[in-house]
Amino acid sequence: MNPSKEDDSYRIRGVEGAEETLRLFATVPIPQGLEDRVKAGLKAPQTGRVLYWPSMPLSSRGWMKSAAARAAAAAAIVFVVAGGGWGVYSRVQPAQSPKVIAMPQRVNTPGGFSNAGAMRTPQTLNGPVLARPLTTAPKQGETGVTVVPIQKKSQSDKATARKKAPAKADPR
Amino acid sequence: MEIVDRSVNDEARRHAQDEALAALVDQYAGSLYRVAFSVLRNPTDAEDAVQEAFLRVLRHRETLGEIRDHRVWLIRIVWNIVLDRKRRAKTRPETDDVSELTRVLPATGLSAEQRAAAAQHHAYVLKCVDKLPAREREVMILSAFEELTSVEIAAVLGVTESSVRSRLFRARNLMAELLDHRRSIK
Repeated sequence: MNPSKEDDSYRIRGVEGAEETLRLFATVPIPQGLEDRVKAGLKAPQTGRVLYWPSMPLSSRGWMKSAAARAAAAAAIVFVVAGGGWGVYSRVQPAQSPKVIAMPQRVNTPGGFSNAGAMRTPQTLNGPVLARPLTTAPKQGETGVTVVPIQKKSQSDKATARKKAPAKADPR
Repeated sequence: MEIVDRSVNDEARRHAQDEALAALVDQYAGSLYRVAFSVLRNPTDAEDAVQEAFLRVLRHRETLGEIRDHRVWLIRIVWNIVLDRKRRAKTRPETDDVSELTRVLPATGLSAEQRAAAAQHHAYVLKCVDKLPAREREVMILSAFEELTSVEIAAVLGVTESSVRSRLFRARNLMAELLDHRRSIK
């Protein structure tokens, strides 16, 4: 037999085998009671609603069965509730925020960086900055303070001062 | 008085629609389950998909009278649902497990060893099917349903019949290559 023909027949058999597998899936047995469960599931959304709308006496006349009437009624309820909520909200004064903000206390975690005992000092305010450096002294008349020049003492004055001064105790 | 008549007519019409829907469930729930199972490969997920398909029909029951072929229409609905679910589910299907396949697939008249071997073969084939490109894979899965003609498959997928045939041809060639690769490894 020609090897290529053998290969072809093998390939064909392989594909047929694969199709047979898919056919098995296509004929898988249907679970018991599937139809009943599906029907029950279809009835559930008609009866089991999240919000049950009770039938009113006027519903027998038909106007309440209208979707537009129901929507309008629901919208009116929502409007009233939302308006009431807004009225309460607008009257309540918000609490004033504290002027002093408490800073969280720093906790030195083990393994982190420490401040090495350094204390933080507040920065003092800088004084006024002069545009030009002050070079000349203010005049006497302007400040009102009389400047008396200090006179140098002579050698004779120093000697009389030593005589007049009491004898000091020897520090030794 | 006119309003009362209209409401009575609405009730009657709704009752008729419910009856028609119940008849559709009786007739096609099984087919839809199999279509869903062939993609999802999980009994619970397949049943959920059938349920969801009929819930969609329930929402559009006013249009039931306009549908020509209910079977193809329903299969198309459930097909879209299962593809959407498959796309969203990132996990592998439950029945890729060989032991699970042995339990799910029918294997009458086979010994335990034969069943295990068959399950292994099915698992490998399914892996190969998963490796196919999406278009080819979809056609190959749907072509396994003997009750679906190529025209109906085209209607389900929303393509022409000729493209269904060309995709099926390509799918078979690719499957042969994948299975051939396995033989060469052995």
